[in-house]
Amino acid sequence: MSNYNSNDALLEVFIFELSQLINQLEEQILTNEKMNYYSDSAVNEIFRIMHTLKGSSVMMGFENISSLAHSMEDLFYYIRRDGGQAIDFSELVDILLECVDFLKVEELKIREGYSLEGENSELLKKIKNLIPTINKEIKVKKIPCNNEILFSPISSQKDENNADHFYQAHIRFEDEISMENMRAYSIVHNLREVQNEIYYIPLDIIDNPDSAKIICKNGFYIFIRTGCCYETINNILRKALFINQLDLIEISDAKEFKQQVELFIQEDLMDEKIEIIDEQRDNVFEIRNEKSLSMQQNYVSAQESSVSMQHSFFGTQENSVSVQQNNISSQNNHFSTQQNHNSSQQSIISVNVTKLDKLMDLVGEMVIAKAMVIQNSDLAGLTLNNFNKSARQLNKITAEIQDMVMAIRMVPLSTTFHRMHRIIRDMNKKLGKETELIIIGENTEVDKNIIEHISDPLMHLIRNSVDHGIEMPEERILKGKSKSGNITIEAKNSGSDVHIQIKDDGKGLDRKKILQKAKENHMLTKTEEDISDSELFNMILSPGFSTKEIITEFSGRGVGMDVVSTNIELVGGSVSVESIPEQGTTITLKIPLTLAIIDGINIKVGSTFYTIPTTNIKEFFRPDITNIIRDPHGNNMIMVRGQCYLILKLADLFEVKGASSDFSNGIMIMMEENEKIICLFADELLGQQQVVVKTLPDYILRSKKIKGISGCTLLGNGGISLIIDVAALLRLDV
Amino acid sequence: MKKVLIVDDASFIRMLVKKLLTENGFEIAGEAEDGKSGVEKYKELKPDIVTMDITMPIMSGIEALKEIMEFDRNANVMMLTAMGQQSMVLEAINFGAKSFVVKPFKDDIFINTIKQILL
Repeated sequence: MSNYNSNDALLEVFIFELSQLINQLEEQILTNEKMNYYSDSAVNEIFRIMHTLKGSSVMMGFENISSLAHSMEDLFYYIRRDGGQAIDFSELVDILLECVDFLKVEELKIREGYSLEGENSELLKKIKNLIPTINKEIKVKKIPCNNEILFSPISSQKDENNADHFYQAHIRFEDEISMENMRAYSIVHNLREVQNEIYYIPLDIIDNPDSAKIICKNGFYIFIRTGCCYETINNILRKALFINQLDLIEISDAKEFKQQVELFIQEDLMDEKIEIIDEQRDNVFEIRNEKSLSMQQNYVSAQESSVSMQHSFFGTQENSVSVQQNNISSQNNHFSTQQNHNSSQQSIISVNVTKLDKLMDLVGEMVIAKAMVIQNSDLAGLTLNNFNKSARQLNKITAEIQDMVMAIRMVPLSTTFHRMHRIIRDMNKKLGKETELIIIGENTEVDKNIIEHISDPLMHLIRNSVDHGIEMPEERILKGKSKSGNITIEAKNSGSDVHIQIKDDGKGLDRKKILQKAKENHMLTKTEEDISDSELFNMILSPGFSTKEIITEFSGRGVGMDVVSTNIELVGGSVSVESIPEQGTTITLKIPLTLAIIDGINIKVGSTFYTIPTTNIKEFFRPDITNIIRDPHGNNMIMVRGQCYLILKLADLFEVKGASSDFSNGIMIMMEENEKIICLFADELLGQQQVVVKTLPDYILRSKKIKGISGCTLLGNGGISLIIDVAALLRLDV
Repeated sequence: MKKVLIVDDASFIRMLVKKLLTENGFEIAGEAEDGKSGVEKYKELKPDIVTMDITMPIMSGIEALKEIMEFDRNANVMMLTAMGQQSMVLEAINFGAKSFVVKPFKDDIFINTIKQILL
């Protein structure tokens, strides 16, 4: 029907929505689990999520998703109506999470383009078994008509016309339009203004969905007494949609009218009696007498339930406020998340990330072009007052555009952090431990590109904490700690970085064990006494390092921490580990706010230009030869205020020709990363520049990995400068 | 060209309906993702017809239908419903919805319903 592109776009939107719904669902399930019951607002929210999911997935033809969603919708409809006390809460939660997992798998399949043949019948059965068999009673109430109600008009008429006409209409609807009973009701509704008396068969179109089948089979009959003429009635009927066949005949007089009506009703009753099972015969007799009442009641209660549902929707905001006042700390998170959800439903548009990437690139180009204009060599030595004024204005505006574009790409960490709840819950269950998760600063934002690289490391660190760090509840009590362990994830802005700290109050790192392992792996470069705690602990980040004797499902293979540090370094960040025995371990991730544009200092070594990120620079100075010494290994060291630092000559490292070797003829730059310091020796200091980081071209990256260079950039004078990767340089020498 | 206002909380459905309508010669007057803004947009844009989802947050489709009908007696509102929402469809009809379409719907049924309402 439509072209390939728009179907793709549709699928993309569907997938996006699907993942959002799954996240919302999981969050609702987990937050409420702690309270041991589901509040009205939670039930409504879950119902709404399921309903939306059902609608969307059925339109895309994903039947196994829609049938699951439908089933869950039914379940929560039941809970909403009957209060759900009859259901075992923890069983419910388990099944719900199973559903969430099923949906996640299906989502993945859709993303990767696999077909969805996920078997959900087991799950559907489990859900069905949860709903107690109260439903049977309702079915009994739906048994059809008695005579009394038929001979009273459905609604009162406007005026008694002297000319009474009697008509009989037989209507058949088009095939496959579904809900024929509702269509029929629609017609009756349209006739209410012109009828003095109206009867229709089948009668229970309002509350018996099965009447739709009867209408399919036999058609829909209307008997009407009205003052209107044939034409009018015909027109009203014809206005109804999807009518396949319409026969309208006029009945001559009142007597025949009554006869026909009774005849049809009896036939209708006969048909339906045959379908009624003997067991329910007594119920039929009972209900016959109160039929009119109960029918009215059903209709009224249906209305009531929909009204109360709407009140619940309105009340969702109030519910979440009153829950917060109960002062459960986890509820604070829930409330703020709801706020986020609610406020995020206003004035937000979704933009394709590729467009944002392109925009970022263009802004980068603009920064370079601006530098090339303002620092153009043609202008060297000229006095340009007006030009400088305009240049400052240009700088200001470009800076603002940059900030704005970067802000657009920023995404709060909350979703990533909240996913950790599920992990903790699962680990608790599997290991028999008790752990609480506290999240601070979830509104801290990072660049969208970076967020993908944080999720996996975070998961692994949390798993480590629960697996290695947090002790079993009994052990904790013996140690005088609280029964359940605490893990705190805190995110905050710090300069141009974001710091994410994962802190647990478990048993901390075992220095002896790590020393032992380090020895085994030949990683010790200093003696046992000299090596500081932090240096030792940071060794756990190396590949293959694990002190766990037994490999469990979660850890012990020695690949986890390595993955963490690789991922974090990939985005230009760093990991550091601290620990106090018996008190706990703290792991800090430092992640730069953006990869693309940084403040840098340009230097010259020989004829080559380099740029050092400003955040890595502590100070510059002209070295005093008397402070320079050689250590036993032959390295040059420099004394600064009593401390000794290694000197790095870029000329030597990168074999640059024409560089100065004379320490008195150059400049020393003290660089720092993660509290490690090294001094770089360069020929000349050129100046400060905001620099657009470009990755090294493929042909270089493919042929050789150059340690110490993280990218390149264009200088204002058009030359190329290599950007120094300070962390890498520091590692080379440790 | 007839103008349509699409009210549905699922952006996926809104997108689907928008595509379907534009392909069949309708103009999209606007979109809303909950009942409340649906009513506001109706008053602002005065479309020829509204497609209204029933279950939505903040204000349901039924409530929104009621308010729109109070604002404009001759409003054309078509409800979009999922299977199993009998009582709500009933309510909608009582409040004046011109017709309803059940999800999953066939494209031609959807378009025909709209066309018939606008006749």
